[in-house]
Amino acid sequence: MQHRIRLRPPQIWTVSLILGFGLFIFALTSSISPVQAAPGFQPSSQEDKPDNDYCLACHQEAGKTTTIGDETLAITINPTEFKLSVHNEEAIACVDCHTNIQGFPHRKVEVDTLREFTLSFLETCGDCHEEEYTKTHDSVHQAAFDKGNQNAPVCMDCHNPHTQTRLTGKSSGELTPSARLKIPTTCAQCHEDIYNTYRSSVHGKALTEEGNVDVPTCIDCHGVHDIQDPTTVTFRNSTPFLCATCHTDEDKMAKYHISTNVLNSYVSDFHGTTVKLFEEQFPGQPTNKPVCTDCHGVHDISRPSDPETGIGMQENLLVKCQRCHPDATANFPAAWMSHYEPSPEHYPIVYYVNLFYKFFIPAVLGGMIFFVLTDIYRRIVNRMKGVKH
Amino acid sequence: MNTVTKTYMRFPLARRIEHWIMMLSFTLLGLTGLPQRFPDASLSRSILDVLGGIEALRTIHHTAAIVMMFGTAWHILVMGYSVFVMRDQMSMLPTFQDAKDAIQALLYNVGFAKTYPQMGRYTFEEKMEYWAFVWGAFVMGATGFMMWNPITATQYLPGELVPAAKAAHGGEAVLAVLAIIIWHMYGVHIKRFNKAMFNGKLNEEEMLHEHPLELADIKAGIADRRPDAATIRKRQMIYYPIAALLTIAMLSGIYGFINTEETALTTIPPISVVSTPESGSTTP
Repeated sequence: MQHRIRLRPPQIWTVSLILGFGLFIFALTSSISPVQAAPGFQPSSQEDKPDNDYCLACHQEAGKTTTIGDETLAITINPTEFKLSVHNEEAIACVDCHTNIQGFPHRKVEVDTLREFTLSFLETCGDCHEEEYTKTHDSVHQAAFDKGNQNAPVCMDCHNPHTQTRLTGKSSGELTPSARLKIPTTCAQCHEDIYNTYRSSVHGKALTEEGNVDVPTCIDCHGVHDIQDPTTVTFRNSTPFLCATCHTDEDKMAKYHISTNVLNSYVSDFHGTTVKLFEEQFPGQPTNKPVCTDCHGVHDISRPSDPETGIGMQENLLVKCQRCHPDATANFPAAWMSHYEPSPEHYPIVYYVNLFYKFFIPAVLGGMIFFVLTDIYRRIVNRMKGVKH
Repeated sequence: MNTVTKTYMRFPLARRIEHWIMMLSFTLLGLTGLPQRFPDASLSRSILDVLGGIEALRTIHHTAAIVMMFGTAWHILVMGYSVFVMRDQMSMLPTFQDAKDAIQALLYNVGFAKTYPQMGRYTFEEKMEYWAFVWGAFVMGATGFMMWNPITATQYLPGELVPAAKAAHGGEAVLAVLAIIIWHMYGVHIKRFNKAMFNGKLNEEEMLHEHPLELADIKAGIADRRPDAATIRKRQMIYYPIAALLTIAMLSGIYGFINTEETALTTIPPISVVSTPESGSTTP
């Protein structure tokens, strides 16, 4: 029995060599095994690659840094935050993204700046998040990036992969309320001025102060991954329909007693008719007729009844009118029916003019048609009788 | 029947040209106006496509309106000449007899009257149409002015009158176009094809049927009694200066109609493209 396990020195060398070679092959294959792009990617098991705890063993140490070029890179991963992250929840391994790391010491990073280091991971996100990744290629941020702005945001600037928690409900696929609450501050990392304006608006105040997630955040108007340039003619012309997605929704508006007739009343007015016809026939053609945002504001939309800034106040509205009609005087804003359907209470003259024509037109035309019909009848009768009219 | 039918000059060339100008501008106004009144109709979209979009449509609409304003001004001058210089019978004025004629015509049609009414130069149908046009031109002109010049209008009038003007303009337009299609088409094209606005003439039979009293006056030699040359010249000396003043007044009226306001019509660059705090965003 003893004989079997007792190895002579040359045999030890042979076994170690085989084992060592085997380990080497293992390390090699596990490091180059591609992280496939299939959504819902599940690592087969963590056994065939370094365990996350294995990495965290070093990387959870607070204040850990390294240098890239002249810049310092914090390489501490907060284990609590990481445990809560969606990537941890989905059992994504560190090395699924950090594919260039096979063991310690790590391979030397071959970039010169922190930004370059971040950017070197870009395609990695696309391996799993193909849809979102592809969408970003059509975004205004990508356009800025393509023009040479390296700071234009990429995936990781909005979604820290080590701390990003789940954003959508697992079954619903909808953004969770807590995710919605965080959107404006995410964008504010770069668009701080706009964020501050938004925060003072009727929508922003409700979100940031009351935690009301019914209101639109940045992405409800601008989109998420394929964010478009909001200064284009096409975007401007489509604004009324953008606002209408919520403002014609009975369910959403009922809660706040807001009229859902705002789009109809806009489109039936001179300005709205023009914009609608433009939108549908010539989406790219500029028009100087106002869209929602020209009167209500963009990021600073306020309640129309707000005594300070609300355009329900005719004198506040006049200021908006004067942006295009500088000579407009006090009576002018009333030429716009403030989204009201004419009724005996609101805009009675318009109501009664419409009512007048509602009866006058059929009365006049009916009389004409009646006379014409009697004339035709008489002609037929006369012809049958052979009488000349 | 004679091979050569006697014909009667009803509308001299000048009046026919006037009519054609009005017809053309009316048609254009309807064609470019109704798509604005009913922007969702598929026919409106087709018209918009053909004419090159809403701005082009409005330009044509305004141009046609200007033509009609000139046509109206010209008509007023011609009528003034007819009334004050030639002292023609004011045969277009509505009379009590017209109401009686209309009732008799209706009764005849339904079989309660034995004869069709005998009418003069203008039948009650023609008078109705003429005065409907006058009314329509007045309403469309007044409401059109308010829409064309809303800033000027609201300096003197409540703002609400602008959307009210738009409502009236649209209602009146529907009425006018349908009335022309029903009344005018039937009266002068379907019932009997009336060529008076083409060659200016009606023949004896047509005159006998439609304007027997006028025909009788013509035959009696009392239809077209012209003042003598000296009287005409004397009245012209009075009318021409008045007409000149009237012309200046009307032309400046039209000029004002077109040019009072610029801001409502001039194309201003879209506001979001002009620099605003929002567009100067802090892109990193």
